[in-house]
Amino acid sequence: MACRSQCFALVLVGACIFPERSLVKYGQKTFIFTFLFFPVVIYVVFVAVPYVTSMAVSFTKWRGLTMNLPFNGINNFVKLFNDPNFWNALSHNGIALVVLPPVIIIIALFFAFLFTQGIRGAGFFRIAFFFPQVMSAIIVGVLWSFVYHPTIGMLNGFLGIFGIASMQSFPWLGDTSTVFGAILAVTVWQAVGFYMVLFITGMESIPPHFYEAARLDGANSFVMFTQITVPMLWEAIRTAIIFLALGAMDMYAIVMIMTNGSGGPSRAADVVPRYMVEAAFTNGEWGYATAMAVVLMLIILVLSILSLRFTRRETVEF
Amino acid sequence: MLDKKRISRRTFIKGSVLIGGAAALAACGAPATVAPTAAPAATAAPAATSAPAAAKLDLPFPVAPEAMDPFKLDVSVPVDGQFFSGGFGDDYIRYAAKIEEMIHPGLKVNVTPLQKVQETLQPRFVGGNPPDVIDNSGAGNFKTVDLVNQNQLLELTDLFEAPALDTPGKKFKDTLFPGSQVAGVVFNGKQYGVNVAYTVSGIWWSKTLADKNGWKYPETWDDMLAFCEQIKKDGKYAPWTYQGKYPYYMSGIVWEQLLYKAGGNDVVLKIDNLEPNAWNDPAALRATESLYALYDKGYIMPGTAGLTHTESQAEWLKNKAVFLPCGTWLENEMKTVTPKDFNMVMNGIPGYKDGKGDQKGIFANGGEPFVVPAKAKNTKGGLEYLRCILSKSSAKWFAENVSSMMPVVGATEGAKISDGMKSALAVVSNAGTAIIDVEVGNYYSKIETELELHTGELLTGKLKPADFLTTMQKVADGVAADPDTPKQKHVISG
Repeated sequence: MACRSQCFALVLVGACIFPERSLVKYGQKTFIFTFLFFPVVIYVVFVAVPYVTSMAVSFTKWRGLTMNLPFNGINNFVKLFNDPNFWNALSHNGIALVVLPPVIIIIALFFAFLFTQGIRGAGFFRIAFFFPQVMSAIIVGVLWSFVYHPTIGMLNGFLGIFGIASMQSFPWLGDTSTVFGAILAVTVWQAVGFYMVLFITGMESIPPHFYEAARLDGANSFVMFTQITVPMLWEAIRTAIIFLALGAMDMYAIVMIMTNGSGGPSRAADVVPRYMVEAAFTNGEWGYATAMAVVLMLIILVLSILSLRFTRRETVEF
Repeated sequence: MLDKKRISRRTFIKGSVLIGGAAALAACGAPATVAPTAAPAATAAPAATSAPAAAKLDLPFPVAPEAMDPFKLDVSVPVDGQFFSGGFGDDYIRYAAKIEEMIHPGLKVNVTPLQKVQETLQPRFVGGNPPDVIDNSGAGNFKTVDLVNQNQLLELTDLFEAPALDTPGKKFKDTLFPGSQVAGVVFNGKQYGVNVAYTVSGIWWSKTLADKNGWKYPETWDDMLAFCEQIKKDGKYAPWTYQGKYPYYMSGIVWEQLLYKAGGNDVVLKIDNLEPNAWNDPAALRATESLYALYDKGYIMPGTAGLTHTESQAEWLKNKAVFLPCGTWLENEMKTVTPKDFNMVMNGIPGYKDGKGDQKGIFANGGEPFVVPAKAKNTKGGLEYLRCILSKSSAKWFAENVSSMMPVVGATEGAKISDGMKSALAVVSNAGTAIIDVEVGNYYSKIETELELHTGELLTGKLKPADFLTTMQKVADGVAADPDTPKQKHVISG
């Protein structure tokens, strides 16, 4: 998740530019400055400058092979607005945005709750659930492509056991109606473990006397979960929402791998970053692809601001 | 039109080919006169140091005096070659470099094998210092048409008119298989690249299976459908499978050849040249309906749409399906998993009794396009490299060590070629001059992408033939009207 590292980098820059006054004494400033100087230079050269130049390139008809950059006004953006393939790709990012955060957070919360109840083998399950997070999206994509394999795949084999003969040799990744759902399921599978661990650490730091007090007042498990656990975990959940929302706008690696680079069949699982690569590398329309990147960046920016604003709540200090 | 992408997907067999190549290298190291393989430096070095310019060189094959240096090379400028290294490995690339160095004592030919050609070389084009010769193949290659449209490639007339290296008395162009240097390398009638690997594309089946069942290969598409019906009734095998997730094997190999057989070059040119209503030609409808019948009548192996190329080919090797469309790289690609007695052979595409095209016609063209950038420092060195790699000596080495063919006349005499390749060559010799050439996908990447995508829909029943053609007509009209897409003109003479 490139977005995540960019968040950290932004925080870093922020810390450099606006260090909290009260903490900064003479000498400390120099100290912080020397530590942050090189990371910031690297960030500016390799992240900030390309961002700014790509905004300039997005107004050109650059074909990617020479330094010839014919100015194209806002035509790239007009073309983008009228491009059904772009809207199709964006709609899939949109579906991911709506589906992934709630589904992943609910499942992760459920398992986190389960594995903090002192059940046997919880340690094993924690590791088992976290494991997919350790693997790269490429490996996950390849493995699951085998699971979805029409004839020798585990999924169809499993369905076969239950006598669902109609599903025999069904091409999960070769059918427009199932391909994107199949990919989303893999994303959920991969992400749940990470957020589960995040929530477990949060839950374990909630003082037990909160629950004891609630129990004495006659609260049941559900009430305790919604009234104590979730509010006390809010900062962790908020982090999860923001990470997952940004991740939903990406999805490049998993879609590339599981659709073999096509985003399809029939673009049925296409996402904006993949379509962008097609525009640049296949069609040679680098200016147009850059315009797409700029639009995606603006969408992500707005999304980040919105999710920060709407998830802000008062936190409890304990 | 599909060679570039396809070849890239063979990268994974690179290992096996390399091992085979290395063994062969070791084997023919001893007789120094046969080929400059294992110890070419030993032969070249003394010549380079002891005898300057005009002295007689100790070459492994005779070269006529006029064929020694047609481009008047400056040997002090090294040649910078950047080559895709995939299914064929890079030993054959180095072999050609050795030949060039031997013929021009003192010249240094630098060989850089690479994977993602575009990613690696794009900055050099933008910076104005591209290499002297490129093997522009593989998954991450440049679209040749983009390079052409931006005047980045050298026109190769000088090379084609130059004397051939080791075929005395012939020009370079006359030593290459007829029809092999067109697909994907000629734009607006001008030659911008050479196809170094020769591929024939048709329909494959197992000879063993056919003999066992007493099958005869169908002659027309109607026969094909009738035959499929029989196989389906027997219930032992599915009649067809294809490279599911990559439907362009069906569009590029089957549909395009059917199109030619139904309508001849007239309809092919109409489509290649983006003429209005070209896709509504009755021949296009006929070809599309022929293809659609495979789905409509249930002849395609269930689950095919969810398989990759190697997965579907593996199913086919297990006799799950009888027919499979592919090019001649299939043998090499599936080498490690092919059962001993499978005996795969290639056939042409069954056509139509009353079709307008030559019913014996076949796709027999080249893959692995090599180009010379126009703004390179040493374009002459690049041209000379191409003359060396498509020499008889290099082609023979390629046939023996990579078990594939270069389109060089007479190069495989005496060389051992595979059974699959033999069957393909039989189809080609039967076709005579009827080498089919459909360029629309090479000219316009967008049409290539959409054609593949909608062929996938056609073969899974998501699109009916008439809608397929309406959709493709719209795509073609869109490209025709797009001022940003430079237009190509396809002309077929004779």
